[in-house]
Amino acid sequence: MAYLLQKYFFSYLTRPASIILLSLSLLLPQLSNAAVPQKHEDFPQGVSAVNPGSELWREVRQRDLPVTGVSQVKGVETGVLINPRGDQWARFRIENPVKYAPMVLGAVFLVLLLFFVMRGKVGIEGGMSGRMVKRFTDYERIVHWTLAIVFLFLAITGLILLLGRPLLIPLFGKEFFSLLASASKEGHNLFGPIFLVSLLMMLFSFMKRNIYEKGDLTWLLKGGGFIGDGHVSGGFFNMGEKTWYWMVILIGLAISISGLILVSPNFGQGRVVMEISHVVHVFGAIILTAVSIGHMYMGSIGSEGSLEGMKSGYVDINWVEAHHDRWAKECNENEQVVSAEEYARLQGRQPDKAMEKGA
Amino acid sequence: MSERLERGLETLRGEIDGKVKSFFSSCVHCGICAEACLFYTETNDPRYTPIYKTEPLRKLWQKEYSFWGKLSSALGISKPMTEADLADWEELVYDGCSMCGRCSMVCPVGVDISMIIFKVKHGLAKAGFSPEGLVGATQRAVDIGSPMGITMKAVEATIKHVEANTGLKVPLDVEGADYLALLSSNEIALYPEYIESITRIFDHAGVSWTLSSEAYEATNSGLQIGNKTIAGQLVQRVVDGAEKLKVKNVISPECGHAYTALRWEGPNFIGKAYPFRVVHILELLDELRAEGRLETTGMEHERLTFHDPCSIVRRGGVEAQPRNLLQPLAENFVEMTDHGAMNWCCGGGGGVSSNERAEELKLTAFNKKKSQIDALNVDAVVTACSNCRMVMEEGVEVNEMEVELLGLTEIIAGHLVDKRSQ
Amino acid sequence: MIEYLIDGPLWYFSLAVFCIGVLWQLARIVFARSKTDLSVARGSATGGAWRNVFSRFVPHHEIAPQIRIQVVAGYLFHLGLFALLFFAAPHVLFLEENLLGFGWTPMPHWAFIVSAQFAFLGLIMLWLRRVVNPVSRLISTLDDHVAAILTFVVMLTGCFALLEGSTALRLLHRFTVEIWLIYFPFSALMHTFTFVPSRAFTGAWFGRRGIDA
Repeated sequence: MAYLLQKYFFSYLTRPASIILLSLSLLLPQLSNAAVPQKHEDFPQGVSAVNPGSELWREVRQRDLPVTGVSQVKGVETGVLINPRGDQWARFRIENPVKYAPMVLGAVFLVLLLFFVMRGKVGIEGGMSGRMVKRFTDYERIVHWTLAIVFLFLAITGLILLLGRPLLIPLFGKEFFSLLASASKEGHNLFGPIFLVSLLMMLFSFMKRNIYEKGDLTWLLKGGGFIGDGHVSGGFFNMGEKTWYWMVILIGLAISISGLILVSPNFGQGRVVMEISHVVHVFGAIILTAVSIGHMYMGSIGSEGSLEGMKSGYVDINWVEAHHDRWAKECNENEQVVSAEEYARLQGRQPDKAMEKGA
Repeated sequence: MSERLERGLETLRGEIDGKVKSFFSSCVHCGICAEACLFYTETNDPRYTPIYKTEPLRKLWQKEYSFWGKLSSALGISKPMTEADLADWEELVYDGCSMCGRCSMVCPVGVDISMIIFKVKHGLAKAGFSPEGLVGATQRAVDIGSPMGITMKAVEATIKHVEANTGLKVPLDVEGADYLALLSSNEIALYPEYIESITRIFDHAGVSWTLSSEAYEATNSGLQIGNKTIAGQLVQRVVDGAEKLKVKNVISPECGHAYTALRWEGPNFIGKAYPFRVVHILELLDELRAEGRLETTGMEHERLTFHDPCSIVRRGGVEAQPRNLLQPLAENFVEMTDHGAMNWCCGGGGGVSSNERAEELKLTAFNKKKSQIDALNVDAVVTACSNCRMVMEEGVEVNEMEVELLGLTEIIAGHLVDKRSQ
Repeated sequence: MIEYLIDGPLWYFSLAVFCIGVLWQLARIVFARSKTDLSVARGSATGGAWRNVFSRFVPHHEIAPQIRIQVVAGYLFHLGLFALLFFAAPHVLFLEENLLGFGWTPMPHWAFIVSAQFAFLGLIMLWLRRVVNPVSRLISTLDDHVAAILTFVVMLTGCFALLEGSTALRLLHRFTVEIWLIYFPFSALMHTFTFVPSRAFTGAWFGRRGIDA
């Protein structure tokens, strides 16, 4: 990405416009004399004369917006000699996403650590029963884990690209970082569209069960059970899960689209479009990464019995009763609950030969 | 190492040929074969995955033929094979597999899984890890001549009934006849209408045929149990009988595995080609039809379908003939969605129906056939294998379905033009 | 030093192991003693063999709906990998300079990237299916997992080196390729070649019986 921008930047600079730059540089030494009165024997108090070079410079440099002129090089914004906002952009980037990303992510880790220390693993009242219900099909689990793997890869490579200069170069040195950055850039760019495809697969396979329904607002107001007596009603997916789903889809789409804009600069995108895309991309990514850490926590060590659902596709009926009582009712009515022995058999384990693995 | 384990492993070793090496090198454990197997689809038990049933042979191949296996053995870190490696697979291979071969049709890398399972059966059989029911049947087949213990006396009694019903003579031990007709114990015991049918048809078509008192049994328990030695013995009995009567052709009856045993595997079991041709009864009937020697009248009016016996159609190649014979006689014929070479097994082939221990599993597997029949809403299911017919009759009864089971040869016989009265 | 090893001796060693290993494994299969089938054939064994080698690329329609994931992800991966292996510009150049002495027109860069994306998505989904489905979990061996992950690593290091601006990244990719080549003949990866005799054997078996397998 940076490479492409650099290439673009150089290409318009090293061409005929360089002649203009050269002439400007010759005028530069005159700038310091611009408005200083010159002493002359006929005019002891000095004469103020305006250096024409400085006029040009002021026109070009000291404005709020880039001045667009005419250049022999035809392309997007090739008439812009100097972008006064370039500096602004660089500063903005360092002071915002680069600064806040590690802070936000670090904060999330800290909060979860504190939460785990104070609250511990959210268990199931009465423990697990061993009787299971099928929650996710093979395809649904494959889609989830594909998205997860691709997302994690993009998050890591993305963070390397974002935090490289301030954090990683001091740590690894420039040479190693150049390898890391090059590899990360290529990986990030290639896997981006894979993320979009995976996201669309997730959109279609889980959408129906994530539509808002009656009872979801109550769940939200009760803080998912943290406010009040701890009991809160939920459907197949509770409001927390639905919120996360729509965040993933919407922010994910924003990240994907901005990413596609950033990775293919040959469609007439100017600086402003690129900058906005960059901001959307980075902020979206930081938010999604931060919340995904919470998701990973809740889906594994944070909540007893949750991970099983995404591994084998089956969850304990007690877990269902505790977290998704409305769906539990359906499962019981439709006789979808299987015994522990049946569950073992379905997983390919003979109950009485559980220790023996065939393959 | 125990003697029986040694026997089993030695047998399995002898089964590792170029095909086995190719198949085990190609299998990428994708699991597609499971989706083709009714024992898996109706139980969702991953252990019934067809390629999983070949584990005993795969383990041996891996140990003794693969690079990593040989390296482990050389380094002394290889796990020796135990009796459990064979014994634990008895149920999967004998109860949970009917040798229907549907798995062999779908493997993307072309593994003939059914063939490998048969090799595994050979090893288990020689090691003595076979179901009681099959062991008993095989013993009876060798000693008495029939797995159900049907003696020639019983056959003769049946012949008398047939002669009384038809007014025709059933030729026995006629030297020089064109065709030697074999029977299956099932037919003699449960469906003697088959014998009556072929008597009528051969008379109608002018076929020169005979039964043999020394070779009347077509079924091959040796094949079902996987004991190639016994299978060869039983085939040799038929060959001896056929050679003695100097027949040109031997007819395999409406029985699935009998056709496999006699037509395709037999010459390899006994180590030499036959001096006669082997035809399935349906092949002969179709030849007669094509030659215009079968004159029929009337039609079946019921809504009916045909169940393809796996060993005759998919593994035997007799796919077109049943339809050539049935469709002209059926006004309202419909095909099952998966039919012909991709049909679903009845669940009782390959010795499963002779294995009492497999009864519950067999009935569970029948649910696949049940769903096929229910989807068509037919009045009757026609088939050309007495075992399929018996298994399906039981399944229909247990599930309280209102479907009749019919034999194809009988239907044809029932529509013959009475030449004698013309 | 490392560059010399990876571009030199290790490359030749891995190539030798691969070629000799593959040929040896195939020879064991093709030249194995086989008993002649003494039964009378109804149809053509040779015809059946040839037909089956190609027909198995398309699953029987009776089973296709049940195996959609394997078929779609499988083709995404295999076709993507085949395209990028033999038609990506850096690979075409490599083959021309190091092996064959001739090349061919590579696909455009965007097609290279898209092929790689197909291949990655397909491989990730296939491996996940192997892990997530009880049937494949039961029957998969360590070899299956190593083969999948090693192939993924080779592809990933290739992706990392896409810029073609770093010797270290190029060497990393080449090194993983060499490990992959050495592993190949002793693993499930052999299915790349052995699927041909396997399909042929089964096609011949069914062909003798007059059945289109």
